[in-house]
Order: sequence, then C-alpha cells, then structure tokens
Amino acid sequence: MESHLLKAFLIFFCLLGTCYGDVLFSSLSHTLVVTASPNQGQVLNAGEDSITVTWGLNQSFPTGTDELYKEVKVNLCYAPISQVDRAWRKTVDNLGKDKTCQFTIVNKPYERNQSIEWIINKDVPTATYFVRAYAYNSAGEEVAYDQTADGKKSSNLFEIQAISGRHLSLDIASVCFSAFSLLSLFGFFLAEKSKRRQVKN
Amino acid sequence: MEEPHTANNSDHPKFALPVDSEHKATEFRVYSVAAPHMRAFHLSWISFFSCFVSTFAAPPLLPIIRDNLNLTSTDIGNAGIAAVSGAVFARIAMGTACDLFGPRLASASLILITTPAVYCSAIANSSISFLLVRFFTGFSLATFVSTQFWMSSMFSAKVVGTANGVAGGWGNLGGGATQLIMPLVFSLIRDIGAVRFTAWRIAFFIPALFQTLSAYAVFFLGQDMPDGNFSQLQKSGDKHKDKFTQAGIIAASFGLANIFSRPGGGIISDIVAKRFGMRGRIWTLWTVQTLGGVFCILLGRVGSLSVSIVVLLVFSLFVQAACGLTFGIVPFVSQRSLGIISGMTGGGGNVGAVLTQVIFFRGSRYSTETGITLMGIMIICCTLPMLLIYFPQWGGMFCGPSSKGTTEEDYYMSEWNSTEKEKGFHQSSLKFSDNSKSERGRRVDSAPTPSNGTPLSHA
Repeated sequence: MESHLLKAFLIFFCLLGTCYGDVLFSSLSHTLVVTASPNQGQVLNAGEDSITVTWGLNQSFPTGTDELYKEVKVNLCYAPISQVDRAWRKTVDNLGKDKTCQFTIVNKPYERNQSIEWIINKDVPTATYFVRAYAYNSAGEEVAYDQTADGKKSSNLFEIQAISGRHLSLDIASVCFSAFSLLSLFGFFLAEKSKRRQVKN
Repeated sequence: MEEPHTANNSDHPKFALPVDSEHKATEFRVYSVAAPHMRAFHLSWISFFSCFVSTFAAPPLLPIIRDNLNLTSTDIGNAGIAAVSGAVFARIAMGTACDLFGPRLASASLILITTPAVYCSAIANSSISFLLVRFFTGFSLATFVSTQFWMSSMFSAKVVGTANGVAGGWGNLGGGATQLIMPLVFSLIRDIGAVRFTAWRIAFFIPALFQTLSAYAVFFLGQDMPDGNFSQLQKSGDKHKDKFTQAGIIAASFGLANIFSRPGGGIISDIVAKRFGMRGRIWTLWTVQTLGGVFCILLGRVGSLSVSIVVLLVFSLFVQAACGLTFGIVPFVSQRSLGIISGMTGGGGNVGAVLTQVIFFRGSRYSTETGITLMGIMIICCTLPMLLIYFPQWGGMFCGPSSKGTTEEDYYMSEWNSTEKEKGFHQSSLKFSDNSKSERGRRVDSAPTPSNGTPLSHA
C-alpha cells in the first residue's frame, strides 16, 4: 500500500516537472535590457540601502519582439566568487534547478521601461551580486533575460553586507545564562562536599 | 553465616521493583518512575536526549546559519566533524569520572559545563566561532557513557541489555527529534516577528534551557546506586574509592528509528542470553552488525528514491540494534573498570564517526553513493574482530568456556590483588560474579565450585 502511494507521488512529481518545463538558460533570448544603481565594487548594507532597477526591451530588437512577454521578474543573483564551495548556490543550465538567483527584487506584469527602488531585505547574506531580469510568456516559462554583469559574470558586480542578526539583549542573555550554569556547577560541588563532610561526621 | 537471599519484595520493602543480591533491579518496567531504578533510567535517557538535541540542533537550521555566517561547504563539513570528535576523548574521560565520582555527579557536571557552548551558539558570528560552539557542545555526547554506566549499576544481568538499549536508543532519539523541533521553533519565532538571522539564534535557547534543566533534575533527583550515592557509600565502606559518555523527515526517521530499534537490540541480547548465554549475545551482535554493513553497501548502490528510503530504514534498524546489542556485552567485560570500558567503547564509536566522515564524506574524492558503499564495507571489516572476543568463563563465538574450568568468580576476582581482597574491595564484584552466572545460558551440567571456597548465596 505504501509503495503504491510512493510510486503515485513520484509519477506526479515527474509530470509536474514536465508541466513547468525544463527551460534551459542557454535557450533564452537576450532581448531585455536591465540596469541597476550600484556601481562596480560598491558595498551596500542589507536593510538600509536600496537598489534602483530599470528594465525594458533592448532597443536594438524590433518592437514586436516583446509581444509574448507577459510577466517580468527581476532577481538578485550570486556572482561566481560567492558560489565557490557552496553547492546550494550552484549555477546549472536547467532553470528549474538553477540556484544562482535566490532573491526576487520585483515580480510584476511586463511593461516596457519600468523601474523600481528596492530596499535590500534583511535576509540577504553577505556576498557579491549582480542583477538579472527574466521575461515570462503566458505559460509561465522564461523566454528572455538580461543581466547587469557581463556574460562571464566577472564585471560590474557589487557587494552586499548582511545584518549580523545579533542584538545586545541576546548577547547579554547568552553570557548571563552561561555564567549561571557555571555558577550552579560550582554550587553543586560545594553541596556535594558539605554532604560528604556531614556523612563523615 | 549468611541468610539465604530471595529476590522478592518482602526482603527489600524499600524497593518498588524486585532486586538481586546487589539490589539491582531484575525487572525493567518502562512505565514506572519508582526510585531509585526507574527514576535513574528516566533521568538518564532524558538528559542524554537533551544532549543529542543540542549537539545536532545546527544541521536543520544550516540553510539560514550558512547564509548568516557566510559558511562554505568545507566550513560546514569541518563543524560536523568537530561536533562528534570532541566526544571521543570526552567519553573516555567520562568513564573515569563515573568510576571516581559516580554517574550522577559526572553527568550533571558535564551537562552543565557544556551548556555555555549551546547558549553561545546564539552569538556565533564566523565559521571559526561556529566550529568552536559545535565542538564544545559535542562534548555533551559523553553522557552516553554515564547513561550506560548508570543502567549497568541499577539493573541486573538479566535486563541490563534492555535497560542499556532503551536508555541509549531513546537518548539517541534526540538527534532525530531535533530535526523536527528546531525548524518548528525557528518558524514560531520568525512568525512572531523576528528577522531570520535573529530567529535561529533565539531558537538555540530552547535546547540550551532543556539541557540546563535536565542537569538540575539529574543532580537533585538522581542516585548513583541502588543503595545510595557514591559519596555516602564510599564513606560507609560499601564502595571503596578506586585510585586510578521531506529531506528533514527522512533524516529524522533515521534517528527516530532509535525509539524501538536500539531498545530492540538490547532486548534481543537479553532474550538470546537466556538460552545461549554470552556466546549467544556475541553471535547475535556479529550477525546483526554485519547485516547492517550489507544494507549499507546496498544503500550506496540503489538507484530510486523509494527503494533508497526503504533500504535506509532497514539499515538504520540493524545498525541501531547492533548498538543496543553492544551494550548488552559491555557490562560484563569488567566490574572494577566498568566506567573506562564503557567510555572506550562509546568513544571508539565516535572515532568511527570521525574517520568515516574524514575518509569518505569530505571534499569531492568520492561521490556520496560510493562513500556509503565503502562505509558498508568498513562496517563489515570492523565487525570481524568480534570473532576473537573470548570470555574464559563463557567462551567466545567459536570456542566454549576454558577447559581449565574458569568460573565467573575467577574472572572477576582476577581484577583485584590479594591486598585489596584483604581490605574487602572485591565484595561487590563477588556478588556480580554470582549474578552473572545466567550468562552461561541453559546448561545441564552444574556449576564448578568457586576456587576460594566462599559460600555464595543464590538469588
């Protein structure tokens, strides 16, 4: 019974995969254009600084190229240097499995020449980034893209400094509880010693 | 002239369970919390459980921690190795501590000493600090030794395998439970309004507080031996002072199988011993552990997810049952140095964990599947030395007991020299020798007479 359920589950997920299509990054048309405010090498602070992003159709392509674009999603993506020895940020061609872009800056219906100012989330980790935009067709599949970095993702990258997540109250609590534990231990030893002296007498 | 003892409640009204001549319980009643035996059991497995929860609290939260602390795969791998390597020496030291101070004080102290590491996990800010907190938290796994020592002190030969197996298994359960607890606690804290990078830090206070409370419980409610604590018994001369511990659920299920598979191993050890004695215990352990190795090899070879899950569960069952079976044998190796032997066995297990991770699962030399298959071969090879285990009074896998007619008393008395025997240090071992005669299994021929001629009372 359980094995039937498991098989049904697996078949369902396989079909789901084909539904959302295994779109390959290499198959996308490079017809969008996207720019972002950070300069090469600039360091921004998560939770404080903002990024202004502008996107639209690359003017060197004919006007009708973007008729099929229904939705656009602009992402914050890891540069190769921040992917080294970190398999959970790996770049693969199959966009269903690609982990390069893990933060969405904006996701809205496609219109030409739009921009947005985005305050960097407090969840964003310390790393080197670039910005990439995907255009989706009505079936929800990626069809076009552009990114602020070059093809090799080695130029025009910027850094984001994450929040530490630590607070003074947490630091104090940790130290106090640790000290309390060690003091209790000391107390235990004293209690045991006095008990021994009692038994002796 | 000693009165004949009978192991029933009328002679020992102060014990809720039937006991033998050493006042060790001869029955294991898991639903009871009666002092001192079952209370010791519940205190030991719960405190051991809390240490496992703390030591393995980081892995389920790694997706957040690795982003917060900017960790690489290498950093994470090293921290994982550090978490289990500290316990190697800590377990051996714990064995000595139990021999010297008793399991109650030894385990309460260790648990309290390691809680600062868990509290300070909340203020880690780099890969080095992360590695250090995992390393020092891992020391708490030495409570395994005190658990086994405590159970061996409280329960007789008939049920020591069961007691050790259940305590060890339910403690190990913490490693599986934490995979479910920590993400839950994290989500609650995050939903209340904390930022992710702060929420995981607050979450660590839960295992830390649990560990602190369990240390207090062990200290105030626990008792080393059926007749009292070490300090009382040492002073009154009963005990002498010797001079010389959807991926989340699958991962959790491996640990959660401990709820019945490790106890199962201990129970099987005791059942087999009734008919076949110590030789049965050794044979069963060898068989179960080798089969565990076989399923491990299989796990590395199968292709589909559903078959892998099934093989993983079967593998975990056999491996954990083998752990339970191991500590059905350890209590009989030595009476004088029970702590050290338990410590070295427990520590040795951790050495295996460290070696396996270093050789097969670090870097990209072997794919994970190949690593698992090779680990299975390593399991089978490391189980072979069991063929050489030999108790002169009971035999080994391929030999019967010594033809010289060595008895249990000869074996356990040989740990004491004549000066110590004059001072009466060997008395508790004498009682144990008599009680361990059950390890002969059901044999028709009567027991050979003890070599020193002291009349023994039979339980």
